[in-house]
Amino acid sequence: MELSAYAQGGWRLLGDPRRFPRRSYAALLRAAFRSLLDHPRAGLGKANSFILDDPDLKDIDPTVLKHCHAAAATCILEAGKQKADISAISTCLEDCKLDKERIEQFCTEYQKNKDALEILLGSIGRSPLHITDVSWRLEYQIKSNQLHKTYQPSYLVTLNVENSDSGSHPDVSFSCTMEQLQDLVGKLKDAAKSLERATQM
Amino acid sequence: SAVGELGRLAVELLRRGAAPRAYEAAARKLNIGVDTIQHGVEGLTYLLTESSKLMISEVDFQDSIHVLGFSDELNKLLLHLYLDNRKEIRSILSELAPKLPSYHSLEWRLDVQLASRSLRQQIKPAVTIKLHLNQNEDQTAQVLQTDPSTLLHLIQQLEQALGEMKTNHCRRIVRNMK
Repeated sequence: MELSAYAQGGWRLLGDPRRFPRRSYAALLRAAFRSLLDHPRAGLGKANSFILDDPDLKDIDPTVLKHCHAAAATCILEAGKQKADISAISTCLEDCKLDKERIEQFCTEYQKNKDALEILLGSIGRSPLHITDVSWRLEYQIKSNQLHKTYQPSYLVTLNVENSDSGSHPDVSFSCTMEQLQDLVGKLKDAAKSLERATQM
Repeated sequence: SAVGELGRLAVELLRRGAAPRAYEAAARKLNIGVDTIQHGVEGLTYLLTESSKLMISEVDFQDSIHVLGFSDELNKLLLHLYLDNRKEIRSILSELAPKLPSYHSLEWRLDVQLASRSLRQQIKPAVTIKLHLNQNEDQTAQVLQTDPSTLLHLIQQLEQALGEMKTNHCRRIVRNMK
């Protein structure tokens, strides 16, 4: 696992007990994880509030804080992206001259947040419209102004879909006869069966 | 035989729309004016359309045309014309009703996402679906995706929907409507 020169510089500052006493280091780590995981879409604007509100960080130069926060966030994201193990992370931080205790603190915090981080990173990216739910309506047609005595059941199916970027999207609606719905369900069941077979391999 | 010819033209009118040249050909063949042909065809078309729309019985049809004072042979001819073409005419009329996009077919594919720019070493199963719909003569295709648990949920919900027609409630309504 490799970090950019800028990030490494930030970590070296973080490793310096004169700039970052123990409590401040722990506070910055907390702030870094919270800013990434608690409000993923809010961006760095929210991050500032985590940092500025913490009493353990108020004595540190804001430029340094910004640098170190960026360095910490970069390391967290890089480790998450690569699914790095503890030894890889430790080696990386050792290169930045961090002492054993601080490395351990980071790794502990990372382990705690690893799953949430993975979910967050996995959700970023483009994908086709995602079906989240379906609703249906069954009606029995009696007549129209063009045709009387039709007497036919008809289904109206609405697929609720979500866009990976913007969240919502107009639903996909269509009508179908009973035979068509049977065809649709049959095909979906084929897909489900294939899925089951694939997971057993 | 003239009526037979006009009947044929009437059904063609319903299937494909007006064909002035066919009228002219018929006019020449039967030695009648084109206008007469057209009126005749339109009259027959109206008779067939209304009868098919209302789905009237044989008896009612015969009673209705009786007032026109035609010969028995002609009446029988008209009745046959009605009964032979009723199903097709009704199917044409059903196209005129207000409609939503309707289901045509569906294709599916199983995918496993292995990595993305933001996360490596993934195993993320997904079902990609191409839904083909018909809307007013056009066919559209939409690509959608879902995850395995939502797929099972969709199947369960739609199977429930299919089962509804078999319930006592629906059966009773269908029986009483006819």
